[in-house]
This record gives sequence, structure tokens and C-alpha cells, in this order.
Amino acid sequence: MVRLTINGKLVQAAEGEMLLSVIRREKIDIPALCHHEAVEPYGACRLCMVEITRPEWDGWANFVTSCLYPVEENLIVSTHSPKVIELRKTIVDLFLACHPNTPEIIQLAADYGVTHTSYEEVPEPDDCILCGLCTRICETMGFKAISAVGRGHGKEIAPPLGEAPPDCVGCLACAQNCPTHFIKFSDRNGVRRIWEKDFELMACSRCGRKTITREFAESLSAGRDIPMEYFEICDDCHRMETSRTMGRIANWSREVQP
Amino acid sequence: MRIKDPQHLSKVQKECRAALGKFPKKVIVCCGTGCLANGAAKIVTAFEDVLSKRKVKGFSIEAVTKTGCHGFCEQGPLVVIEPQGTFYTRVKPKDVEAIVEKSLAHDEILEPLLYSDPSNGHKIERYNDLPFFSMQRRIALRHLGKIAAHSIDEYIADGGYQALAKVLTSMTPDEVIAEIMASGLRGRGGGGFPAGRKWRTCRDVVSDVHYVICNGDEGDPGAFMDRSIMEGDPHGVLEGMMIAAYAVDARQGFIYVREEYPLAVTHLKKAIDDCEEVGLLGDNILGSDFSFSIRISRGAGAFVCGESSALMRSVAGEVGEPRAKYIRSVVKGLYDKPTVLNNVETYVNVPLIIDKGAEWYTSIGTPSNTGTKVFSLVGKVRNTGLIEVAMGATMREIIFGIGGGIIDNRPFKAVQTGGPSGGCLPESMLDLPVDFDTLTEAGSMMGSGGMIVMDDRTCMVDLAKYFLSFLVSESCGKCVPCREGLYQLHAMTVKVSEGRATEADLEKMEKLSEMIILGSLCGLGKSGPNPLLSTIRYFRDEYLVHIREKRCPAGVCRELITYEINDKCTGCMACISACAVNAITGEKKQVHVLDQEKCTKCGACYAVCKFDAIEIH
Amino acid sequence: MTYRFTVNPDVCIGCRTCELACAFAHAVAGKPGVSRIYPLDGGFKELWVPVVCLQCEEAACVKSCLVDALKRNPETGAIELNQEKCVRCMACIAACPFGCSLLDRQHNQVVKCDLCGGDPVCAHFCPTKALQYKPIEAGKVKVSA
Repeated sequence: MVRLTINGKLVQAAEGEMLLSVIRREKIDIPALCHHEAVEPYGACRLCMVEITRPEWDGWANFVTSCLYPVEENLIVSTHSPKVIELRKTIVDLFLACHPNTPEIIQLAADYGVTHTSYEEVPEPDDCILCGLCTRICETMGFKAISAVGRGHGKEIAPPLGEAPPDCVGCLACAQNCPTHFIKFSDRNGVRRIWEKDFELMACSRCGRKTITREFAESLSAGRDIPMEYFEICDDCHRMETSRTMGRIANWSREVQP
Repeated sequence: MRIKDPQHLSKVQKECRAALGKFPKKVIVCCGTGCLANGAAKIVTAFEDVLSKRKVKGFSIEAVTKTGCHGFCEQGPLVVIEPQGTFYTRVKPKDVEAIVEKSLAHDEILEPLLYSDPSNGHKIERYNDLPFFSMQRRIALRHLGKIAAHSIDEYIADGGYQALAKVLTSMTPDEVIAEIMASGLRGRGGGGFPAGRKWRTCRDVVSDVHYVICNGDEGDPGAFMDRSIMEGDPHGVLEGMMIAAYAVDARQGFIYVREEYPLAVTHLKKAIDDCEEVGLLGDNILGSDFSFSIRISRGAGAFVCGESSALMRSVAGEVGEPRAKYIRSVVKGLYDKPTVLNNVETYVNVPLIIDKGAEWYTSIGTPSNTGTKVFSLVGKVRNTGLIEVAMGATMREIIFGIGGGIIDNRPFKAVQTGGPSGGCLPESMLDLPVDFDTLTEAGSMMGSGGMIVMDDRTCMVDLAKYFLSFLVSESCGKCVPCREGLYQLHAMTVKVSEGRATEADLEKMEKLSEMIILGSLCGLGKSGPNPLLSTIRYFRDEYLVHIREKRCPAGVCRELITYEINDKCTGCMACISACAVNAITGEKKQVHVLDQEKCTKCGACYAVCKFDAIEIH
Repeated sequence: MTYRFTVNPDVCIGCRTCELACAFAHAVAGKPGVSRIYPLDGGFKELWVPVVCLQCEEAACVKSCLVDALKRNPETGAIELNQEKCVRCMACIAACPFGCSLLDRQHNQVVKCDLCGGDPVCAHFCPTKALQYKPIEAGKVKVSA
């Protein structure tokens, strides 16, 4: 058990826990744009930064990203100190400078009282805010199909050599978790298209409804020891089959045991 | 042939010394990258040619040694005749015949090739008498200019690997760490963290694997200390790494060399191959239980990969992005294992500390900044090159003593230290001692040792703009304060240099700088605003002149200057040929005319005019 | 003492109280959510089968989750989906052979039965006790992680 203070309140945390987890448990709301429980914390957006100090520091303070800073005994944490607020404001201001037309960024900036950027507008060609969630999730899932390419201002998320990513299975995890919905995909006529790669959508052998891509299903079947037959029927039909199967058993037991 | 144990090493040392002592005279040709670019290879070829035709008693081509950088790059190509120490400067291939005839076959000195003291015109004959060298204390650079860069024999002859033998036979890892801690050796890459403490922490982490890495990325523009050491004394680096590996129980080491240093890679690779051949790398080194191997990992052209966590990602084959280091890489580094990462210069000091003892090392420098530091002295200083002085030497001693003062005796304006992470210091700070701590208080930092000297023709706004543009292109892009913040900071500095800024902009730049420093993920961002902030701190007036008067006093910022031809013009037409955009017109012996509309302010005309007829307004 | 959720289709009357109770128990923003239990036609006269997650010992959903968002709660025995970890790849929906991992289209999230954290409301409200959540003697059955 580790004891620390957050915004003046004494709280308890587990050894090795990150500050952000404790802060959220205390229902304190701070933004953490590049954070997702499924992947390791990244520390890229800097919005979750908090001010920390210790009794023996004589008032000197440090500023750390709470998503990556482990709890310490007697740590004193301030999530909304004036400097932290100023820092968050500057960050959203800088975000707005390069994404003046992205709704999620406009909303985030508005939360901190910033309606127009105070810097020179240099709009990015798309809504990608380089939070890295897509690449980190893809890597955690074991596909590593896309990556951050380039450096600095020219950095972008792309598949290798800008071509259709060979390792992508079309699971859509990247698109589902993109905070600005920049990753686009389409499901049409049994074909899914994402990252300029086409995938065959599996069709339920009973009702024809489309489920996940064949590539994803094959990858799961081979890698996680799940019979491929499971993926050939949709969940609606699976439920119906279950009820029919269980029904036959129940009916049999009725007949056997009156 | 394998060197079996320390006794065998001593025997080999004797044999190598005997082989080297075969020739009474030795010719040293500086083959550091600077002199090579200046034609040193042609000089070596010239020696080969001349000596194939003319036999000199007691001398042969074997005694022509290609060494690493002497440091006196301004005067290269350099040739030194040992043991006399005769120092020949600005040597050309056509001089070689005379050198062989006069200085090798006989003992005559070729005066025209000697260094000339600019203050009185006197010629100086010997290496040790040149103020450039006599004022230095060459410890990390001890082998540069002395031994053949690619020869393990010469390294062993000079006492190489004796420190390793001493460590393996008579010191425990804890004792090695204690010795390095006692020596006060601090990280020479710029961080200044006590090396012994780093090794201690690493060793204390319980793990089946520990790693030792050498940071040879040297990304600071204008810095070539590490390059010269890797090229000129690769074995010194290897031996330092071996001793560190022994201290922290590492069996695998890496040297991360930046893409742009092919000669360093070649020489390091040769050194590693030679060590492996004689058993100084591999299993059971010198008959002990210690096994260690080293691999070279090449960068791919990113300044940010000099940052320790980005470097380790790069070594592991991943994209070189730093991570927040709340859990330090000495605890969880390469492949999440405890890793010691030290700079080239730090490692090259280690064998000597083991050899001569920690106490000897603390007798140099100051109590909290022991030893020496290598600097690359560049810019508007007379003696540009590589130097090494004891910590605590003042900047005045370095710039005006060793450096020989400012070219053309122009007034000194400022010196930039620490590269893109550092700041500049004005004349009033010249008597500050150079060490890790003092310069930081003054708003700069010693950094890895880059020193850029500036005169009154350097614009401080332009300087800040340059460093910011460098950082903007080198930022990894992971975090917003650095990626977008430095970009905006650069844009605002451009506004100042073009005369479009207001005083409110200056305040905005200072505020944004503070936020970038607070909010950035790694050192690149955190120290990025330093050049801007230090130039504003000491040269605020210059910024205000740009803003209020839309004028650049140093005559640099293109939007704010005009080039004009005055009546000193003799009509020689040199500038007309120099002008790439045909902005100057005129006849022979007539005062030329400069068309302002076409002028791009490139300064070519200014550079070629011998009559001071071009003025910058 | 471990508990086990049991389904007895024999006495299910198809009243769908369980479905209603589940929807209300999993309300989102004050509105009824998606039910995790569906009494469906058993294929014979007056035979209904409440189809619900039976917290399989070797669950296909757990195997299919590449981010470890599905984990068994040792106290309740339920396999719980951690919404914060879920990346909405829909692998579990496709993998479950019983169709018990469901898509809440309205809120774009995946849901499954979590035994209401230890007191399943469906069992609570089932008028015929077709659904029960009762203790099993220790040693009788083993439950995997």
C-alpha cells in the first residue's frame, strides 16, 4: 500500500500503480488523449501532466505525465494547479494551430477556454493528431501492420512503403479507437477496404450476414486455437442454433423423465 | 595468435615496442577526417611514391604512420617528424619530396612549412612549443596524432589493455566501480552524471543480462570530438567499454555510431576484429572468467537518436523515439534490461583512470569537475580545431589563448556552447570557468563540448533561428510541445528576423519557451528553447532593434539588409562574375551598379570584393 | 464456495422477464441497455431456451481476445469484459459459438453477461426458477482462470 496526496486528499494506491489510474479512481477528470488501457502508456499528448512535489523538496515542483509516473509514498500531486492549467492550455492551443478544423480538437480546446489558436495556423492535411493509439493497439494485437513514419512535422501514420500493409487483417481496431476518426474504412458488397487493402468479409453460412474478415478469422483460428467453423456463423444464428440444440436436449430429457 | 593471459600481453607489448623502435625516425601524417578532406591521403601516396624511388637509410614507408586527428585542423594537412617533434603545417603533396630529402635523409628543417605565430611572425619548430598544444592537457586525446589509428600493435605497445589486465587480475567489479566513483568522472556526453554512480546502479539491478552501450551519435552541429576519438583511438574506447562491462556484469556491448561517420565505423570495426582475433574480445578474455563481445550499431541520420532511450530503441531495431524516463534506462534500458550508456569520451578516460588511479585524475580539474574535457573550437576563432583542457579553464583562456583570438582581430561577440541544447555567453562571461555546473547557472551549458565563437558579424537572432530550424527538423514528433511548439517558436523567430514582429511577440516567445521546457517529453524539447532564451537574455537589445527599428546590426538578416556599392569601387568586375542572379552591372573601370530588385542578399559580391567597395546596410 | 449459474429450459415459460430485467440492470445513461439473455424458440412445443453466456471453462471469447480484455472474476465465476481495455475488434462476437458476446450498436461497444457482479437479476426475477445462481460444493467442479 502506498499513501500519497492528490489535490490535498490522502489516498491509497497499489505499489507500481501509475498516477493516472489513481486520479481516475478518485473521479478527477483530466484529459489523456493518447491513453488506452489495452496498451502501454505512451506519454505523447502531455495533457495528463500533473504537478508533483515532495515534502523534502522545499516547494520545488516537477511536472510529469501521470500515465507513466508510478506512485510514491508521500508524493504530493496537484492535477489542476495554475501551471498545469497553463500547460494544458498551451498544448491545446498548439493542437488547434495544426488542426483548426478537427471537431474533437476544437471541443478539447473549448474545454480549456481556447476558441482560436494564438499561434500561426499550419493546418495538417488530415485529422491525424499522432496520438499513436492505432499503431500501439495494432502492435499489441500482434499485427504491427502500420507504424509512425517520418519525423517531426512530417510524421504520419502509414503502412510500410505506403503500400497495402501485408500484415493487416482488417480487424478495424485502429479505426475504432482513433480519437479523431481519421482512419477511414468501408464495408461494401462483402468487401472491407482499409489502408487501401481489400478484405473478404466472412458471410454467415446460415443467413449470409457479414461478420469479420476472413484474414482476421484465419489469424485467430491459427494463432489462438479456435476452430474455424466458429467463424462461419454469425452471432444471431449462433444463438438460434444454441436454443435449438438445448431445446433438443431439454425435449429429450422431458421424454426420458416424465 | 591468441593473447592467453596478462603475462602473455606484457610479452606482446615488448615485441610490439621492439618492432616500432626499429626506425630511429617516424613520420606522422594526420589522417583525421578534416585533414583527409584536405588531401592527407594524397600526402601518404606521395610518401609512398618518393620512398619507392629514393632509399633513406634507417627509414622506410613502414615508418609513415597514419594517425587520428591532431586537433589543429586550421593548419592541416599536418605532418610531424618524430622523435624531434618537428611540426609541418599546410603540407602539400609536392612538399613531400623535400621533406624526405631534407628532414628524413638529413636533419634539416623546412622553414616555410613551419607554423608561424600570428602575433610576432616567429616560426615555431616543435609540436610541444606551439601554444595551441602546450596550453592543452591531452588525456582523452592522448593517442590522437601519436599512434596509428588502425593498429592494435601500436596501441598495445603504448600500454594498451594493461588496464584491462589489471582489472581482470587484481580488482573485483565493486572495486572497479569504487575507483571510477572516486575519480569523479562525469558523463562527457553533456549530462555530467557521475559515471561510477551509473555503473553502481546498473550493477545493483538483479538481472540475468546487463548491457553496455557507447553513445557515438554526436549529433550537435559543429561537434567532432567523439568522431575524432572513434577514428583515432578506437581501442581506447573498446578498452573503456570492456572495463565497464566487467564492472556491471555485461556480456554484450554495442557502439552506436551515427550514419554520417563511415571512417569511425571502419576503424572501430577493424579494432573489434583485431581484438577478437587475439582473444581480447570473446570468451574468457586474458584467461579470466570474463567474456564480452561488442557489436556496432549504425544510426540512420537522426539527431534525436543521441538521446539515450531513443538510442536504445534504435539499437533494438525500432523507430528512434524517446520515452519518459521516470524509470531510468540504467534500470530498464535496452530490451528492458539494465543498461549502462556512456559517451565515447567518457569511456576513453576509463583505462587511464584505472592505470594511474582515481587520485591522479582528481588532481586535474576542479573538485566537483575532475579531469579534462575535449572541445571542438569552431567559428570565427583563429585556431579552429579539437582541443582538450583541464576542467575549470576559463573561456578566455580557451578562445584567446589556445584559440588565438578572433580572426581579423574583429571584436568578440559571444560563444555558443552545448550545441542546440545550450546557450550563448557574451564577453562579460568570458572569465567563467568551463565545467558542467558553472555554465548552466549562466544560462548555457557545457554540453558535449561544441564551442562556436562569434564576432560582431554574427546576428544573435539569426543564430537562434538556425538552431530552432535544426531542432524542428530533428524533432521526433511524438509530443506536441516539441513538435508544434518549437515549430511555432521558429516561425516567430523568422518574423523577428524579417522585421515583422512586435514586442508582444517577444513576450509570447518567452512564455511559449517556458511551456515547451515544462511540457516536452525528452531533452531535445526540454532544452530546445535554450539558444533562443540565452540570446534574448544577453542580447535583448539586438532583438528589440530588429523589432522596433527593423534593422539587423550585424548585417545578416536578409530581409533587413541591403547591399550597396560605394565609391571605392575600381570597376574590376569581380562581383559581376560572382553574382548568380546578374544583379550587378557595369563596365571595366567604372563604378558598378547593384539592382536591389534582383539582389538576393547572398553575400557573394561582398566576399570577393578586395576593395571594401560593397557595404551592408 | 463457488457459485454457478444454471439454466433449465425445461421450466422456462418464455415470459422474457429475464430479458427485461437484464436490459434495465445494464442501463446506459438512464435508458435500458442491451440484454445479455434471450429466451429463444427451442424447436418444440412450449419449449423455450434462455440463451445466455455460460461462462465457459475454456472460453472461445477469452482465447480470441488479443488485448486480454476478457478475464474471469474468481469470486463470481463470470468472465468479465473490461470496457476500457476493449478495442472493439469484434473478435469475441465472431468467436463465441453460442452467440453470447453481443454488439451494442447504439453505443458502439461489446457487451456480455457479467452475472451482475454476483447477484444476477435475471435469476432474481425468473418466475419459474429456470435461471438460478447457486453455490456448488467445493471440489465438485473446477473453474479455470
